[in-house]
Amino acid sequence: MPFVILFVHVAAAIAAVVMANRSRIIAVVAAAAAPATAAAWGFTALLDPDTARAASFTWVEGLQLGFDFELSPIAALLTFAIGVIGTLIVVYAHGYFGTPEPTLGRFLATLTVFGGSMLGLVWADSVWTLFLFWEATSVTSFLLVGHKHAGSGARTAARRALMITGAGGLVLLAGMMVLIDATGTHLLSEMEAVTGTTATVAAVLLVVAAATKSALVPFHVWLPGAMAAPTPVSAYLHSATMVKAGVVLIAIVSPILGGTDAFKYLAVGLGAATMFWGAIGALRQRDAKLILAWGTVSQLGFLVLLFGVGSAKATFAGVAVLAAHAVFKAGLFMIVGEVDIRTGTRDITELGGLHRSMPVAAIVATLCGLSMAGVPPLVGFPAKEAAVEAALGLAGTERLIISAAVIAGSVLTVAYTAHFLLGVFGPNASGPNGANVDTGVRPRRPAMAAPAALLATASVLGWIFDGTASKPITRAAAALNPKADVYELINWPGATTAFFVSVGIVVGGAALGFARSRMLLDVPRTVGANAADGLLDETLVIARRITARGQHGSLPVYVVTMAFVIAAASLIFVRPALDSVGELPLADGPGQFALAIATVLAAWGCTRVDSRIGAALALGVVGLAVTGLFVVQGAPDLVLTQLLVETVVVVGFVIGLGRLRRSFPVTGARWQQIRAVVAGLCAAGVAAALIAAEGAASSATAPPTERLVIEAVEEGGGNNIVNVILTDVRALDTFGEIVVLAVAALGVIALGRPALVTPKTPISPPTREEVRA
Amino acid sequence: MISVHSPIVAVGVRAVTPLAVVVAAYLFFAGHNQPGGGFSAGLVLGAVLSLRTVAGLYKPVNGSKLMAAGIIVAAAVALVPAAIGGGMLDMVVWSGELPLLGKVKTGTAAIFDIGVVLIVVGLVDAVLDGLGTDDIAIDTPAATGGAQ
Repeated sequence: MPFVILFVHVAAAIAAVVMANRSRIIAVVAAAAAPATAAAWGFTALLDPDTARAASFTWVEGLQLGFDFELSPIAALLTFAIGVIGTLIVVYAHGYFGTPEPTLGRFLATLTVFGGSMLGLVWADSVWTLFLFWEATSVTSFLLVGHKHAGSGARTAARRALMITGAGGLVLLAGMMVLIDATGTHLLSEMEAVTGTTATVAAVLLVVAAATKSALVPFHVWLPGAMAAPTPVSAYLHSATMVKAGVVLIAIVSPILGGTDAFKYLAVGLGAATMFWGAIGALRQRDAKLILAWGTVSQLGFLVLLFGVGSAKATFAGVAVLAAHAVFKAGLFMIVGEVDIRTGTRDITELGGLHRSMPVAAIVATLCGLSMAGVPPLVGFPAKEAAVEAALGLAGTERLIISAAVIAGSVLTVAYTAHFLLGVFGPNASGPNGANVDTGVRPRRPAMAAPAALLATASVLGWIFDGTASKPITRAAAALNPKADVYELINWPGATTAFFVSVGIVVGGAALGFARSRMLLDVPRTVGANAADGLLDETLVIARRITARGQHGSLPVYVVTMAFVIAAASLIFVRPALDSVGELPLADGPGQFALAIATVLAAWGCTRVDSRIGAALALGVVGLAVTGLFVVQGAPDLVLTQLLVETVVVVGFVIGLGRLRRSFPVTGARWQQIRAVVAGLCAAGVAAALIAAEGAASSATAPPTERLVIEAVEEGGGNNIVNVILTDVRALDTFGEIVVLAVAALGVIALGRPALVTPKTPISPPTREEVRA
Repeated sequence: MISVHSPIVAVGVRAVTPLAVVVAAYLFFAGHNQPGGGFSAGLVLGAVLSLRTVAGLYKPVNGSKLMAAGIIVAAAVALVPAAIGGGMLDMVVWSGELPLLGKVKTGTAAIFDIGVVLIVVGLVDAVLDGLGTDDIAIDTPAATGGAQ
């Protein structure tokens, strides 16, 4: 089933591209169908959790190459969320993009592929599958963030996102390899808990990887910038997908690494820091979309903190907040997009009072916002309540620290929720130039309003039917921490300590948010993002300067450098070569000896002649002498191929030499000496390596020719073993080689063509200004 | 020196072309049991292309297309078996009787070899292109003929 769904995603992406300009509705339906199938599958998994759902495709057995998918309870929950929200996002995008929209096909296709990558990520059981889809989400989100690629802002933001999340992917790979080494398996479901130094290293690497993806401090800088994307993308990336990948990673490795101090302290520390910094960032913003983006940063910190604590209740609360957040954050972003489209601005100093002109949006936003703040009757309340209870349920210093972090973070969450709602919909108290969009909003677009309204309704229903909603959450939490299966969402807990704490949080946060909304602040500077971009720019400048120095464009110097490196690398063979040189015969026969002498003489002559034609002829002699060696050794296939290659090369010389001077340019004596020394070293080194190899081969067992002869006739059905090996037994190698050939030829075209256009321009290192430009 | 076209060369190359194509075809099919195969056949065709280029009968501009076609053919042979449930690059052998030729045996390996031929010819074409033959093949009426 996973393969079917992924295939549907690919097909839908193709259909969206092909159909977008012909029939928009078909493209939209196709793009919506893919996440809908995922949602349906996720739903069946939620209804029938006891059936194991796994699929794998093995390509190369020994290398663990292949796909391994398993639908764990948390993956089922996320699949359902990704699918449902993905479907709603496509519908929303249909409303968001005006008609006609030439880039809609590209957008829908990228969004679909992105959704498919995210599904692959949550289903992945093999570490390699996880890594593959993790990187796929990085690349596709890069394309989505940079969708409006005509603007430099979007391009910079997309590049920043790709650099940070892509680098995180490499850290993930490193961390997972440490885990594989420690546990001896590449399947996440089979990994046992590890401890000790190995676990610490893996924990640090994996938490950092998760931090890049889930925008934890200090890697959060890409996420607010990603607001350059069209709003449907933001709604999707920030709710069920992308940023949740890091949290999911933390969640799925928590049973393996949860016992490590480093994992706990790092996750809790980064989580708490991100929760505060994100919330403060949200309170500083004037752009409604950025308030939500920084709010996402804060919520992600909250989630990582909960999974980092590791107690059963905290894990349960983490899964609950994860689900609730997906629902309300998608709804909030949809509302911001609608406000943006209908009023033309997202700046809360220009907005305000929209509850009169956009009443439906105001209600939806309030419901989603209150769910974010953790206020009943919305599903965010029992989730937040569980988190507070989890914090209060700890013991000792841990209880004090975690409780303080959760409570303070929650107060700030309520504050920025109030800041957002009051700024956009409330009485406009924030600025002197407000109250100007009360009238004149553009008409409502049902395709934009309906998905948001559905999500708001879901938040309410989740609270009312708390028992039903909590079942999949409990199961997912229990899969991560078996002790968590006793917890469930409680929509009205009564007069418990946690409840009074929650009341305090809401009152305090609302007061703070109300106070904030009366202040007018400047647009905050993007210090972190600028620093990240500056670092990247500076790296590129340095890289280009090194390239300019190394890639000087002198072909002779390249060749001599390569020969020197080969000679240096062959030094290790000198010792074994000296050991075995005495055991080897001088030659297998007189013919071989004569041909070898001829080869050497022709090669030496090639370097001594002044005319280019002479050198070409000498090379031809070398080639023919080598062909003769093949004849003596009895290798007709090689003889044929070598002869044909020599023939083609002669014609190439005819063409090439026609446009060059007749003789080689005169070179300085010093350069000639260098060349001679390096050539001598290289020859000695290669000879040593070959002698050593021959010595090793002669002492080894018999070559596997016998087996190949049988295989060639039986499997390949041919008597020419060489060709059967090439096209059947080792066809994959041949395939790789012909691809290399093709790529090399493309390189020849690329290198040859510009040289013909501008023949005499010397290549000089670019100046600093050129590099920057 | 090479931009001056010699009619003798042009006529000679023209005469040789069909022979070389036959040789290439022979090598291609002989490769199953004797020296030859896709690589050799491709090189013979490549040599023909080179000669025709030098003689001003052909303009090498198809390298990328030929190589793309070759990779597609080879990749198809590699992936189709995997798609229909076998392993990657699983080869099938067919044998049967044909009039005049008698018992013949071929298989998907031959199709794979066609991909190799296309890539080798494309490679030669691309290298000729990279060497720059603009001044050779200019306004020769026969240049549109190409090599078969």
